[in-house]
Amino acid sequence: MPKTKEQLSKTIPEGTTWEVELKQVGFVRRLFMARRWYGADWWFVAISAVGVLAFIIVAIFPGLFAPFSPDALVGPSFLAPGAQVDLPVLVVPVKSSINKLADLAVPPGAARPTVAVVEGHPTAGALNEQAQKIDEVIKDQPKGLRLRPIIDRYPTLAGTLQAVINGTDMLAVVQMTEYSAVKAQFPTLREAATITGVTSTAGGFILGTNDIGQDVLSRLLWGTRIALIIGFSSSIVSLVIGVPLGLMAGFVGGTFDRLLSLLMDSLYAFPGLILAIAITAVLGPSILNIIIAISVLYIPTYYRIVRGQTLSVKEEVYIEAAKSIGARSLEILQRYIFPNVIPSVAIIFSVNVADAILTGAGLSFLGLGLPPTLADWGIDVARGQRFIQTAWWMITFPGLAIMLIVLAFTLMGEGLTEIFNPKLRDR
Amino acid sequence: MSDDILYSIRNLTVEYKTRGGAVRAVDNVSLDIRRGEILGLVGESGCGKSTLGKALMRLHDGPASIPAGELWFDGRNLMDLPLREMTDIRGAEIGMVFQDPMTSLNPVQRILDHLTETIHTHEPETSDKAARARAEELAERLGIRRERLKEYPHQMSGGMRQRVMISLALALRAKLVIADEPTTSLDVIVEAKFLDLLKELQKEFGLTILLITHNIGVVAEAADRVAVMYAAKMAEVGTAQDVFIDPKHPYTQGLLKSVPNIKLDSADLYKMGGQPPSLLHPPSGCRFHPRCPFVMDVCRDKEPAFEPVAGDHLASCWLYQTQVANQVVGDQEVQNG
Amino acid sequence: MAEQKSRDEISKSIRVATEGEDLVRVEELRKHFPVQAGFLASLLNRGNIPTVKAVDGVSFTIHRGEVFGLAGESGSGKSTIGRLVLRLYEPTSGHVIFDGIDLQSLSADEMRLIRSRMQIIFQDPLASLNPRMSLGQAIEHPAQIHMPELSLKDRRNRVMEIFHAVGMNPPEAFYDLFPHQISGGQRQRVVLARAMITHPELIIADEPIAMADVSVRALLLDLMMDLKKEFDLTYLFITHDLATAKYVCDRIAILYLGKLCEVGPLNEVYEHTCHPYTHALLEAVPVPDPRRRRTEPMPAGEIPNAINPPSGCHFHPRCPLAKEICSVEEPLLREIRPGHQVACHYAEELLK
Repeated sequence: MPKTKEQLSKTIPEGTTWEVELKQVGFVRRLFMARRWYGADWWFVAISAVGVLAFIIVAIFPGLFAPFSPDALVGPSFLAPGAQVDLPVLVVPVKSSINKLADLAVPPGAARPTVAVVEGHPTAGALNEQAQKIDEVIKDQPKGLRLRPIIDRYPTLAGTLQAVINGTDMLAVVQMTEYSAVKAQFPTLREAATITGVTSTAGGFILGTNDIGQDVLSRLLWGTRIALIIGFSSSIVSLVIGVPLGLMAGFVGGTFDRLLSLLMDSLYAFPGLILAIAITAVLGPSILNIIIAISVLYIPTYYRIVRGQTLSVKEEVYIEAAKSIGARSLEILQRYIFPNVIPSVAIIFSVNVADAILTGAGLSFLGLGLPPTLADWGIDVARGQRFIQTAWWMITFPGLAIMLIVLAFTLMGEGLTEIFNPKLRDR
Repeated sequence: MSDDILYSIRNLTVEYKTRGGAVRAVDNVSLDIRRGEILGLVGESGCGKSTLGKALMRLHDGPASIPAGELWFDGRNLMDLPLREMTDIRGAEIGMVFQDPMTSLNPVQRILDHLTETIHTHEPETSDKAARARAEELAERLGIRRERLKEYPHQMSGGMRQRVMISLALALRAKLVIADEPTTSLDVIVEAKFLDLLKELQKEFGLTILLITHNIGVVAEAADRVAVMYAAKMAEVGTAQDVFIDPKHPYTQGLLKSVPNIKLDSADLYKMGGQPPSLLHPPSGCRFHPRCPFVMDVCRDKEPAFEPVAGDHLASCWLYQTQVANQVVGDQEVQNG
Repeated sequence: MAEQKSRDEISKSIRVATEGEDLVRVEELRKHFPVQAGFLASLLNRGNIPTVKAVDGVSFTIHRGEVFGLAGESGSGKSTIGRLVLRLYEPTSGHVIFDGIDLQSLSADEMRLIRSRMQIIFQDPLASLNPRMSLGQAIEHPAQIHMPELSLKDRRNRVMEIFHAVGMNPPEAFYDLFPHQISGGQRQRVVLARAMITHPELIIADEPIAMADVSVRALLLDLMMDLKKEFDLTYLFITHDLATAKYVCDRIAILYLGKLCEVGPLNEVYEHTCHPYTHALLEAVPVPDPRRRRTEPMPAGEIPNAINPPSGCHFHPRCPLAKEICSVEEPLLREIRPGHQVACHYAEELLK
């Protein structure tokens, strides 16, 4: 029943002034005014809410933030964060149509392309490596092209560049920095892509690359999606199953309650990760099975809390009053018990998501559940184990990500407890 | 301070910090408690009487503070003492009896241990035997049989527990006992016996008792003098006879008329209009003015002083402070005329 | 073999008892609560589970249109009787006959229907209101259950009318508020409104003003009496305060440890008291007049345990008039003066 402001100010029943004022302002203002009396916890909730929101946005639109696709091999392996990428670059005549290494592929039997490199330089090795990689990929394709360049070695950089101008070689593969120094002297030549096919990565990779050359940052951002999918899905499933069961057990009581509680307590007694491992082992690896495994893990938590709350709410006088007006049991559950039990559920949900994400990461860390090609923090952490001394960034950043997201959700849940729990509030 | 006044409260103010701002639960209250008397402190919920009772022992929790006032107990101003010396006074010189004895007693300690521990804490040189003897003697005097001393609080009834509370206060020969709603949770017959007990203890031990309650009847049954509080201020103080038979403050008058008297033939109960005011934004001038049937202009503007109306009978009401009231009325006439 | 009663029979279209006749008849009502014993103890005591005899053979009637008081201290069973009359508890034995209908004979559905005719208001209004339901919704709920034929608009109007009837004006301002946003006195009015919306015939008031401020109590009592006149109500007024009972009750029953001591018109019982316990209760009530302090001593001892009550007359260990027969034979309720019943072997002595 909407009330106009005039109606409110004329007829407001007595109450302390701040309560009266609060009734007249909108929701957003109320949120800010809440700062005053919730104290530090308001800040916890605000900051963690911002954090959670950020994670959610990244999870929904990882493409907006991630510079690369998570499985793209974008750089050399083990590149430290921020290190300059000194990739060998292709140098071609200005009018050439060749832009990347793959453009050199020709049908089998045709003349092999010639490429000039500086003698004794590691670029030769890189060129070979890259050519082989590309060859592997394209040879199975229907067109049947092959990439097997003939490598001509020259004693100096100028020599290689001259060879391209002469036409002896189709292109030269030289170190970027060296080329930049003498670029001006060869106006008929231009840079094409780097050896890996990407045009330029001037800034380097912010968080470095992993063992096969994938960008750590991109994998991190894309990994948010999996983490949150697992976290939210399993929490929602647990909630949808655990809450009604808890309500019914608490309300009905008797043997039903006892049996169910027995079942739930047994489930609860299992160490979480072990149970999840067992279930995934039985069901097989896939995201769906991970979600199922983790959901099963947390159903007892919701069940216990909701059942406890239901039991205590059941004893309240207003439930007796509801019975006395002739309400049916279902009505009492829906309109009297459920709304009074819900706030605690909201708080558990938040912390539960954090826990689920952690368990999910643990499972994929152990190699269970997720196909290894997916970008997932747990998998990344597992991969980075071996290289902790040489490429610390491979394990650190995914680890930090897990920590931060769990922290954000947990803080929010804890902060919400203080705000939503009226008993604590009235002190 | 004259010898017959045990506790002189002067201009006491107790403030609470709440979400809406600072609230004065007790606002500039002065009261004298005479030696050997039972003083009934009466008022509705929220008037500040319980806060006042706790403040007398400087027993208040976090958000509360005492920004102003003097508490002259037996010749010393308790506000001058450091808090840790207050613990020596509490229990030993001033005892307190709370409303719900169940939560004031330690559920895992026997009654006897409650008593002996209290004695030992304040008088450590007492031997175990002597302490026990004292405890038993005291319990007997208060109607608690010796055998029951070995019981735990949950095994005793409400009335018994209240007696235990009093015995704890008496164990150290306290001079003043503050009883905060001691009978509210008790049945009426037990309540009557408890009040009898208080009166006996007053006679026998010369005990001074501050009886805080919202029940006017209890005050009439037990108190020698009565103090009425309204909205954190003192409205009226006088002997029980004076206050009940010739109440001066309109609030007291209304209160007395609104309480059913079982000895009278059913008359109409008086209905006081309005509500107790918010302490966050109290009314201007006299706090009772929005509900007062005798309200005058001066009542809205200026707060009346708490002054004697007739001898020892004090009240804070403009009806009796005629000089100032007339002055203001005169001023108004001059303005209007 | 109870015949299926028609909805109309049970709901308020048909009233049997007229003004002054018996609206409620309670016959030999008993409620024994089993004591929570440990698993082992209950194994060992298979047949003999100790029980709390909260209500132990109580019979009385309530006439339509009166305010019937049920008074007693803790352990007297008065609150339990209130709930038994409403069949919120199942009696261990005995009957409650409401307007000629034996409640025990009703099925669960029929019982639900008859609830529109009898309501209860509790002692603590804050506890009896659902904190997550607005005041309007709380009051509307009984109407939703019992008056499905009303349209939404008509139902809302009825809620507004009831708000007005209990003195909460303007009604629109209160509909969307929640219990914690209003004062204690207002909450009790809302509880009254909720009880009133189906226009019941009987209202059981369990210590309705005990938690209200002193200055608000008289207002609430007056409201209850006004509503009684306006809506033709009958009250079962449960209280421990005999002074308040004097103000509102027409007839009164005094309970001690699950049994009735004395029943009769209020002035009769108060002026011609026949039971020693009633007498003690009346004397114990604090009088707000220092000139009339109590001089009589109170009965010794305390209210005993309801699990093992004293033999014979429950009050005998504390009674100043007790003789040998009192510990042996339980006195039955008998009429001593017109309309005035008492359960005491020596009632006549007290009268003198």
